[in-house]
Parts: sequence; structure tokens; C-alpha cells
Amino acid sequence: MEPKKEKHEKPKYDYKADEKLLYDTVIVGTGVVGWATAMYGGRLGLKTLIIGDIFGGTIILTHLVENYPGFVRLTGQELSDKLEEHARDYDIDILSDRVERVEKSKRGHEECFLAHTLDGKKFFTRTVIFATGTKFKKLGVPGEKEFENKGVHYCALCDGPLYKGKERVGVVGGSDSAAKEALLLTEYAKKVYLIYRGEKIRPEPINEKRVEAKIKEGKIEILYKTNVTEIKGDKLMTSVILDRPYKGNKEFKMDAIFIDIGHIPLSELAIQVGVKVNEKKEITVDRKGRTNVPGIFAAGDVVDTEFKQAITGVGEGVAAVYQAYKYVKEKEHQSA
Amino acid sequence: MTAKSSEMKSTHAPSVKMYSTPSCVYCNMAKSFFKRNNVKFEEADVASDLKAREEMFRKSGQMGVPVIDVGGKIVIGFDERTLRTLLHLK
Repeated sequence: MEPKKEKHEKPKYDYKADEKLLYDTVIVGTGVVGWATAMYGGRLGLKTLIIGDIFGGTIILTHLVENYPGFVRLTGQELSDKLEEHARDYDIDILSDRVERVEKSKRGHEECFLAHTLDGKKFFTRTVIFATGTKFKKLGVPGEKEFENKGVHYCALCDGPLYKGKERVGVVGGSDSAAKEALLLTEYAKKVYLIYRGEKIRPEPINEKRVEAKIKEGKIEILYKTNVTEIKGDKLMTSVILDRPYKGNKEFKMDAIFIDIGHIPLSELAIQVGVKVNEKKEITVDRKGRTNVPGIFAAGDVVDTEFKQAITGVGEGVAAVYQAYKYVKEKEHQSA
Repeated sequence: MTAKSSEMKSTHAPSVKMYSTPSCVYCNMAKSFFKRNNVKFEEADVASDLKAREEMFRKSGQMGVPVIDVGGKIVIGFDERTLRTLLHLK
């Protein structure tokens, strides 16, 4: 049974970031991985600061999360809120801002890092944990930018309801995420076309079955080995151009198209401070979340792991912050 | 004078109208932001209200949410910094 909460309950701590402090760890990113990492940082007694401008990260755009243990199903926003609430149960500092640069620095004789934010704030820290996640990959075809939010969208949860009753909407992509977007859109549009360049979409088996059921109902159709090469319209988009004909025509009339073709890791900040990345620009970490730069750790979608889920990411974050804890304690021991 | 200025300030606070959909997470962020900062706002659900949807499109040329009208200035998406500037918040 959940403990009863008082209405307008006072926050447990003030959570205010303090530029005068030398933090033990600064966590960059306020997605679910960031919150879990911050929670464990607080639990380990580290003076922890978490900084990010989108509380919740990309998972808040997911309407249904069914693979996070302990919760049969909930929305991405609900999951993020729970992790944030859990982190706020510890004496950590929280800043709504964006880290613009991280550099190696010194505080007195102690080597550390300095994190600069968009609002011009600076924070000294012994360790940094990058939980910066990813951003949506764009299609990069003519018309995409021109018709963004005018038929071209990246979030079915947000903008899908605007197409209620419309004849045709498309989803570009073949991943589990694209399949979920298509499934959600069947609640609004009369028919959803999943446009995929490959030979077989690759959702998780449970979602594959759901897509198959919608195909039988005539609500989803998949166009395989097909690319969108252009998006056309006037004030709003009206059609897409395909690289191979569909029913004899390369121009396909469509009310909207949702792009879900993968993500780009947000690793630039880490690269600037000397952290190694792989060919996909994912941060290279060992099993403990350590990067090549002592004192810098990383976790979640931004690192070079194969399977990227909230559940794996939060585990990586907790492992990384434990290494940060060990690093800080070792430094303290050396200077004692 | 001080009291009068304060009154004038509150009287002249820009009107805020947000065009949103019920499932839009950025709209929910904007709503929380307004509530946290005691900003009065009107909300139009463009998923169900076609007139509001047309109004949103006329004002912004957008078919994506949120669109926020702050005293006639249109903000696309939840842009906290721009909203703070337009609403004269710290």
C-alpha cells in the first residue's frame, strides 16, 4: 500500500545547484538514465548535480512502455516521473539548463572538471557522467524541413491526434519504435502506411503480432524496399515521392508522415573533452561505464551498447555512478 | 505608486493561449511551467476542437503542438526561455 501523500507536500530538499561547490559528480542529462544515476549518486552520498533541459528525455514520447520490470505497462512520461520522484528522495541538486561545454580544470591543487551551461553557470566537479541520450535522425530529403510540423512529424503521441479521421498517414522506418508509432496512429488515421527501405521490419515479436493483426484489419500496410525521396505540398504537405512506384505511381498522396528512422547519439560534449567514440559516435565505455578519460563515465543510449532500453540504461547508469564513487573515494584516500 | 505599478503590471500581463493535444508531453511541460509560475492561460484541445485547430493553423501555419500565443506573439513548441522573456519571468 502506497503511503498517503499530503497535498502540497513540501519538497524534501531544496535541490538548488550551487556554483561555489565542488561536486563529486555532475550528471549530464535528465532522461530516465540520468534520474536513476542521480538517485544512486545521492544514495552513495556523493554530492550530486543533475543538469538537463528536457526532464524525461526521449522516452516521454513513448505512449506505452511494457518492458520495464515492476510495471506491466505505463507511459514513458509516467516512468520518467517515477524515476525523477525517486531521485528527489535523496539530497541531490537539480538544474533545468543545458550543459554547453565540459573541460578539464583545477580547483586549488585538485584536478577536476568544469561544466559550463547555456545560462552561463559554471560547476566544478570531480567526475562527470554523460547520460545525454540521442536525438531523432532526420530523413534529409527535400521538403522535410519545409513541412516540419506541417505534415512532417517526429512524435505520433504529440501530433497523431491531429490526424483523426484522415485517410492516409505514413511512418518511415522499420524498427520496433516505428512499428509502435504506426500502431498508435491506427487509433487516429483510417490507414497507416509503414514505409521501410529493408526487406522485413524488425519490431519485437509482441509488436510484430500487433502489426500483423492491424494488417489483417486493413489498418496498416507495409511498403518494403521503399524510400521516401521528397515531401511535397503547399501550406501543408500533401504527398510523398517514393523511389519505386506504389500501385503504378511514385507520388503517393498522404496527410502526414512520421519519421522514425533511428537516433543520433548526443556525444559532442564528451568528444570535446577527449572521450573516445566509435564509428557511430557512441561513447566507448567498458563494462563498468568508464570512458578512456579518468573521471568521466557514460551510460544509456549514448554509449556503445547494442541493446538500448530504459531498463538496460538505468542499470548502466547505476554501474557508472558506482565507479564514480570509487574514483572519488580513491582520490580522497590519495590526498589524505 | 508602487502598488499602482504592480496592479498595472498584473492588468497588463499578456494573455496566454495554448493549443495542445491531450497526449502531448511538451504541452504538459508547458502547462506545468505556467502553473509553477502562476501564469493564467487558456487551453484549446486541437485534437477535438476543429475551430481551434484552424485558428492555430491561421496564426502559426503549424500542424504540430504545442503552439502558444503570448499576447499575439507565437511560440512554437515548449520553449521555456522564450516564454520567460515574453512573460517577463526570471
